[in-house]
Amino acid sequence: MSEKDSSENPRGSSQPPDEPGDAPSSENSTKEQKRAVSEPVAITRKRPEAKSSSEAAEQEEQKTPEKHDLDSEAKSPSGWGYWGNWGKSLISTASATVATVGHGITSAIEKAESSLGVPSPVELSIRSQEETEEGADSVQSADAKENESSSPITGALGFLSSISTAVQSTGKTVLTGGLDALEFIGKKTMDVIAEGDPGFKKTKGIINRNSTLSQVLREAKEQEELRVSSDFNAETEQKAHYGLLFDEYQGLAHLEALELLSKESDAKTKAILSSLSGEELAEVKAELEPLKEAFSLEEFDDEEELEKGDEEFTQEVTTLFDELHISARPLKLTKARIDAYKWMADVEEDGKKKKEEQAEPEDAEVQGKTSVEDIHEFAIRSLAELTACSMEMFHKAATLILHGESPVPAAARGRALSQMTILLCKELTQLSKRITTLLTITGASEKSDVLNPLITGVFLEASNSASYIQDAFQLLLPVLEISHIQSRT
Amino acid sequence: MAYAYLFKYIIIGDTGVGKSCLLLQFTDKRFQPVHDLTIGVEFGARMITIDGKQIKLQIWDTAGQESFRSITRSYYRGAAGALLVYDITRRDTFNHLTTWLEDARQHSNSNMVIMLIANKSDLESRREVKKEEGEAFAREHGLIFMETSAKTASNVEEAFINTAKEIYEKIQEGVFDINNEANGIKIGPQHSTPGSPGSHLGGQQAGGGCC
Repeated sequence: MSEKDSSENPRGSSQPPDEPGDAPSSENSTKEQKRAVSEPVAITRKRPEAKSSSEAAEQEEQKTPEKHDLDSEAKSPSGWGYWGNWGKSLISTASATVATVGHGITSAIEKAESSLGVPSPVELSIRSQEETEEGADSVQSADAKENESSSPITGALGFLSSISTAVQSTGKTVLTGGLDALEFIGKKTMDVIAEGDPGFKKTKGIINRNSTLSQVLREAKEQEELRVSSDFNAETEQKAHYGLLFDEYQGLAHLEALELLSKESDAKTKAILSSLSGEELAEVKAELEPLKEAFSLEEFDDEEELEKGDEEFTQEVTTLFDELHISARPLKLTKARIDAYKWMADVEEDGKKKKEEQAEPEDAEVQGKTSVEDIHEFAIRSLAELTACSMEMFHKAATLILHGESPVPAAARGRALSQMTILLCKELTQLSKRITTLLTITGASEKSDVLNPLITGVFLEASNSASYIQDAFQLLLPVLEISHIQSRT
Repeated sequence: MAYAYLFKYIIIGDTGVGKSCLLLQFTDKRFQPVHDLTIGVEFGARMITIDGKQIKLQIWDTAGQESFRSITRSYYRGAAGALLVYDITRRDTFNHLTTWLEDARQHSNSNMVIMLIANKSDLESRREVKKEEGEAFAREHGLIFMETSAKTASNVEEAFINTAKEIYEKIQEGVFDINNEANGIKIGPQHSTPGSPGSHLGGQQAGGGCC
């Protein structure tokens, strides 16, 4: 791609709104290219924010599906179509900003890591194996910090302690502990960035209001495609880009299809409810209540430090799937998981052999050993694949629930799906821990400025993955609602 | 991979006519005689080139079973092209075309390009529907027509690509409002030929409908 092209690409954040899909600031692109040279594999992109960043009230609003649906429904009659339009929607600008922000995070983290002398991700990931108790406390202190700190520096300290929390916390739940902490890292960084970029808050607000998850994802992916295609080292970057891989595994398509089903179900439910009145309406509403409860994910414990064996994971997923009473098996998902662990085991084995042979360590280094970049790429790929498979599984579950009669009460299915969501999120945590440990061991001789961004990147994408899974899970609520209502009659 | 446009397709038609096989042949260039029944919808994607432009086809391969109809209808929306498939060795699949067509027209946008596909042309000895009949049906309803074989790959590429060409022409003629996402067309990150000075034009076109 020519230099010209890259400067045509939409990734500026300070663009006038009349041509947001075109002409980004060339200042940005040169900056990015410099960055690409200095850290070729550091792809720590913040997940595009589909949720409100700070206000709890706004978060609540997001949870009510009506508002969301009406908005996008009004915008375009098509579920598929609301992807947004290249060059038209403001969301393009917004996600351009998000893409840029991702880089900010990396540099902010690195900068803070190097200048403040706090524990590096490397150390942290080692500790994560040993420490089990301190997690809960440091989450609280991190939370406290979140409340009082607003200056960039304390913010940075805050998110660093959160990183350590994310890595160490084992006594705390993934949802409230690690994930929140990682979300917090992102928010904090965004806040810091927002101070230097007044336009950012505005665009972020636009994302919150007018988009659905798959739309945001797709936009972000396109931004990334564009950026990648214009980069010199396009190849290495593309290999490890989560969004592109997620799409490649058809995760985006399944998510989109699930959104279509979810919307349709929601519309049907509303239509039926509005046709009811008095006692009957109250009755149905009361029946739907326990279903909603099943969808408010309770805190879950991440105490089982122990990694699950292949069979155990497969068994648990299959059992939960059986509880749904639908005629499909999540084979792809369990296979993807088995493959991931096999690969890691092979690399570990290789590493051990190399150590034993250590006659000429210099040589061994050169000779086709699995590099940290390889492991990072593998990590991102595995996370993308597992998440895409999870999307597929939820989509198929929705399809089959809508398809069949329901011998099982919807609330029971809701609970099984909720357990499944928790299981998948825990699995992602375990996988990322294992991979970062592997990264740490393999990259022992690497400089920390090479290794740290890679490790941070894996943790961030793991937290993103968990968020996608939880969001997809929420899309199943309207599906179960309509399934319940239809089974009454 | 960067692309100039993305077109969404759906494949519809009775169960067992070879929809999933057509998709597999197109995306993977292979034939698999025994297929699981499609649950709801499956996906495939492939990049093609038309008029020097990279176009990504995102294909939604729907379940043909009657019981999935109400679900698959949700997927019609926002498709730019549809492949309506029947099996030349089973007349009933041809007889059901009218229902499929009504369904498709009712749940999709009016500009959707529909390609009628007479599949299994390799099974000449068991043919129940003459080519002329298919052609006549297509003419009557304003569809493009092709006989294909997912097994031998005959005309499979052509079917997908010709549909894309038709959509592309409609874009050029201005029939499709490419800024309306409901049409199943999306302008990609790389609208113009790489490196060409035309990239300006592409950008403007893209931003054309902006307010």
